[in-house]
Amino acid sequence: MNTNNNVYTIVYTTVVVVIAAAILAIAAMALKPRQQANIKAETISQMLTAAGFSSKEDLAKLGNDQILAMYSDNIKTAFLIDAEGNKTDELETEVSSIELQDNLKVENKNIASGNPSLPVYVFEKDGAEINVIPCYGAGLWGPIWGYIAFDADCDQILGAYFDHESETPGLGAKIKDEAWFREQFKGKKVDFEHPDNPFAIVKGGAPAGDASKVDAITGATMTCNGLDAALDNWFRAYIPFLQKKAGAAMEDDCCGEDGCEDCDHDHDHGHDHNHQHNHQEG
Amino acid sequence: MNEDLKKTLLNPIFKGNPITVLVLGICSSLAVTVQLKGAFVMALSVIIVTGLSSFIVSLLRNSIPNRVRIIVQLVVVAMMVILVDQVLRAYAYSIDKQLSVYIGLIITNCIVMGRIEAFALGNKPIPSLLDGLANGAGYGMILIIVAFFRELLGSGTLFGLRVLPASYVPNNLVILPPMALIILGCIVWVQRSIQKDLQEK
Repeated sequence: MNTNNNVYTIVYTTVVVVIAAAILAIAAMALKPRQQANIKAETISQMLTAAGFSSKEDLAKLGNDQILAMYSDNIKTAFLIDAEGNKTDELETEVSSIELQDNLKVENKNIASGNPSLPVYVFEKDGAEINVIPCYGAGLWGPIWGYIAFDADCDQILGAYFDHESETPGLGAKIKDEAWFREQFKGKKVDFEHPDNPFAIVKGGAPAGDASKVDAITGATMTCNGLDAALDNWFRAYIPFLQKKAGAAMEDDCCGEDGCEDCDHDHDHGHDHNHQHNHQEG
Repeated sequence: MNEDLKKTLLNPIFKGNPITVLVLGICSSLAVTVQLKGAFVMALSVIIVTGLSSFIVSLLRNSIPNRVRIIVQLVVVAMMVILVDQVLRAYAYSIDKQLSVYIGLIITNCIVMGRIEAFALGNKPIPSLLDGLANGAGYGMILIIVAFFRELLGSGTLFGLRVLPASYVPNNLVILPPMALIILGCIVWVQRSIQKDLQEK
């Protein structure tokens, strides 16, 4: 048979491609449940890392089931909020049926259209609440996302964890790999006063004492800009909720974004106030 | 025949090693050799991909239209690579996250296409399968040797277990890709001093 015939060539390549596509489709369908379970456990372990329950390295040694159990044991409640920061729906936290709002890509679009359904995961550690919220945006090559943990009255950031799909290893990938980068988020605050730029990752170093700025990574300008935009975008969407939580603490607080050290006393006062408030509710 | 098969199987491991002699697949051998675990999975993935795609292409070799043979080979190789990636994502997620970029790049690994063009197109399926597996193994062996030194000196561990005393200060240079190239150079040096016929006059 003449294998260089045009018709033969077209039919042959078509058949080969269709067979390959069919094999891949079957494999993808068969493996999907396992892959999704892995992704869910990965998402949860990122949250647990941000909230300071464990480190990513330690969690990587655990099986999916153990990670889900750890989540279920430590979570108090998880719910969705709307653009005004009002609770709209509860998320299941029972270990057998954990629900996550992890389609951040869709929510990222919904934030832009003003109709988001944003998740808040409230963990409990040593009697204190930890509120974990996600962020999502575009890096240099692909999506980047992360989880940020706030203290009980959403005043201070307790920890953060970032991940990416395909940032350059050794440069942009450092948002995930370099511990110092996420460590600097500890103790920082979201600048409620400036909702257009509530948080900044500053190239060339953040000014000392500025509570809502952190250092950028050398050589990863595009990734850092992307992460900065993602944080701004998502923090802005969460500000109504965060402010509600901060509530009393913010009202009699003299300092907004500047985070002047002198005001620490007032902050403590705010904490106390909030705690009393919580007790009344309880 | 048996002698031929033996040669097909053993030649790529040492005398005709794809990395040190044919100098193919250098890029990924620099990238995934920081830790033994990653190198091991990468080696295994490449062995599977080169073996099975050589086998499949060899089965098809008489029917492939000559004008589009590279495209057909690419379809086969790409399919194998995606399958490996999907299986890793389901069964070894943390490793897949580390390697996923490089697994995708197996498609462009010259060893795979090189062996298909040079061997599988002109040989029966079984020898082609063995040739693919052996070339993958030759590649994997170098990967594991490089990763052994890099993990040992760069992190003081092997397969994540600490072997050097805690007082050992890890050498950060070893973690960086340039050091992989230097180690690779040393391996080529050792091989060429053993195998004199590889030395250029």
